[in-house]
Amino acid sequence: MKSIIRIFLPLTLLVSACLEKADLRLEEKSFFRIYDNADFNAAFTPIDIQQTSDEGYLVLAGKRLDDSNFTGIYLLKVDKTGQIVNEVDDFDTQYVNPVGPLLLINGAYHFVCMDTNLQLAQLVRLNANGDIDGSITPLGLTYPLAINTDGNNILLLSYDNEDKQMDITQLSATGSISAGPTGFSIGVGDETEEPIINHFIQGGRKFPFAIGRTSGGAIYYNGFYNYTFSLVFTSFGADDPAGVVYGQQDDGGFSAVMPVGAGQFAASRFNFGDNFLLPQINLTTNGITIGTELGGFTLPELAPNATVRLLHHTTDQQASIVFGSNTQARQIALLAYNEDDGSFTGSRYLGFANPFEIGNLIQTSDDGIAVCGITYLAGRFPRICIFKLSKQEVEELTK
Amino acid sequence: MKKYYLLILISALLTTQVYAQARKVNKRNPTGTAAAKKSNPFLQKQFWLGFKAGTNLTQAKVQESYSVIVPPPNAIVDVKNYKNFNLTGSQVALEVTFYTKGFSISVQPTYFHSRFEYANRYEWMDANSPTNLLTLNYKQEQQTDYAELPLLVKYDIAGSVLRPFVQAGVYYAIQVNANKAVTVNGVDYASGGLNEFENDPILVGAEDLFAKNYWGISAGAGVNYNLGNVRLTLEGNYRMGMSLANSTENRYKNDRLAGVGDALDDIKLNNIVFSFGCLFPMRYLASGFKTLDR
Repeated sequence: MKSIIRIFLPLTLLVSACLEKADLRLEEKSFFRIYDNADFNAAFTPIDIQQTSDEGYLVLAGKRLDDSNFTGIYLLKVDKTGQIVNEVDDFDTQYVNPVGPLLLINGAYHFVCMDTNLQLAQLVRLNANGDIDGSITPLGLTYPLAINTDGNNILLLSYDNEDKQMDITQLSATGSISAGPTGFSIGVGDETEEPIINHFIQGGRKFPFAIGRTSGGAIYYNGFYNYTFSLVFTSFGADDPAGVVYGQQDDGGFSAVMPVGAGQFAASRFNFGDNFLLPQINLTTNGITIGTELGGFTLPELAPNATVRLLHHTTDQQASIVFGSNTQARQIALLAYNEDDGSFTGSRYLGFANPFEIGNLIQTSDDGIAVCGITYLAGRFPRICIFKLSKQEVEELTK
Repeated sequence: MKKYYLLILISALLTTQVYAQARKVNKRNPTGTAAAKKSNPFLQKQFWLGFKAGTNLTQAKVQESYSVIVPPPNAIVDVKNYKNFNLTGSQVALEVTFYTKGFSISVQPTYFHSRFEYANRYEWMDANSPTNLLTLNYKQEQQTDYAELPLLVKYDIAGSVLRPFVQAGVYYAIQVNANKAVTVNGVDYASGGLNEFENDPILVGAEDLFAKNYWGISAGAGVNYNLGNVRLTLEGNYRMGMSLANSTENRYKNDRLAGVGDALDDIKLNNIVFSFGCLFPMRYLASGFKTLDR
């Protein structure tokens, strides 16, 4: 009898260890959700996703407005398994064109939008549930294009259509201006302004406007300067840019840029439809550079002038640059490179059958990645989707 | 995996045969008469070896439902509609049975192919223009192949040429293969008229979506018919899966299926199984000897 127990007990334990067990925690590690809407005409464009302190996710998105040239505002809060907690589908339609990413400052999330009457930038403060926290603050600047954190302050890139210039401004989290605005001319003529105005119109071509601060302390913005979509390095109060990486009018320039070290950037370029990834590039912040001379990895599978999002993914073992972009096959491509030497480490393509497009991607608290995007349900209904990749899935990508 | 399974089968066969023939024939009473069997315990035992095949029907019992597509808050959720015991599968088995005093213990390595399906329905309507309507129907068929090791205890209710029996036992299943087919059809009223369509099915290998192993319990009844030294058997069993038959970790990893909004629920598989087989006695096959039942 004892010998039977000796044989069968370990065997039973071994066999039962191989069996599948219901585990709801697995849903937190990895999931995929599409957020449907019964409205036939509803259309959403995700802009950013942030993980909240309860490990859920807050999504900022644009929403098609039937009677407006602009894009409405939509907010979605989901829990850590991707189930809906709160949906803000009735945001006041006088506020339009949300600009991300969602900035976490002093425990509150901030984004900027504009009003429909005067196209004035407005600062919106949210709680972690996606509800408005306090009042919406007018900023006195027109046509907001890009924002970023600057310590506990906010950097804002906006367009001044009176003086035909790109303005950079530093704001406090309450909306008061602490530096700037400092402006640089886009050049004269209606044709120079046209792509900027189209950027604000629902259905118009979107440009990858961006603003931030380099590790050396310079302000950079990705926007129009001197008739060209360019990467501009400057400081508040400067009369002229310190450095410019020129694009090709509105046909070439940076599609994404992220400082990763002293003078070092991860970036991607577009040029007449082609795309070039630059996981490791030294950019001169003083002086003029011609963007087309920067080279980069050509990826023919990416859609023409593809939207590109950059993520600096770091764990105890690995630091990676992850590019998220859209492919010709209408999937979301994640392409990972080693931060130290810029070598390619892996790729993952998300989505199939229905078209998918990227909104943004973030590193999650468990060292996984969350990607928000858009998918066209039944091939036609634009809906927000979230891919949550586990740490193990990300390691397959980055190692 | 198939190779290993074959090896196990061959080993089981050889072991059975060696053991079955291990004892010498009782030369003093070689005829196997009823009196001889009664007085000789050796003759009250028998090994049977044979093959069975048949058909099965499957029910997927949902433990926890999962979905890729999240409806808006307060919306009426159209849950997956499972169809139970409606698709036929098939199975073949090798049966090795040891009989003594009305009871049998049987090992029946089986190749088990099962099918089950469920359907989803989605509808989008323009509230301002109700004729703008799109309805999509997804039919999702799963096919799984498992190598199984059932261990059954049988009891012969009556002993004659026609021998009804009842049986119960456990089985352990090891995945060999799994496939999934998704067929989408729908009605589109938004194209300016009635547009009924059916898309090409999406066929994918789904090994990662199903459990590598699961186990269950089984109970059933049948009847043996002795035709000379050969035994024909007909039986029916109900099997109840006791562990999950899906992979909990890989639920969303198949992009082709996730892309169309599908995620497998946590399910246990129950089956109704019918088999017909032919068994041969393995002991005392000397001339003139009849099996235990004569």
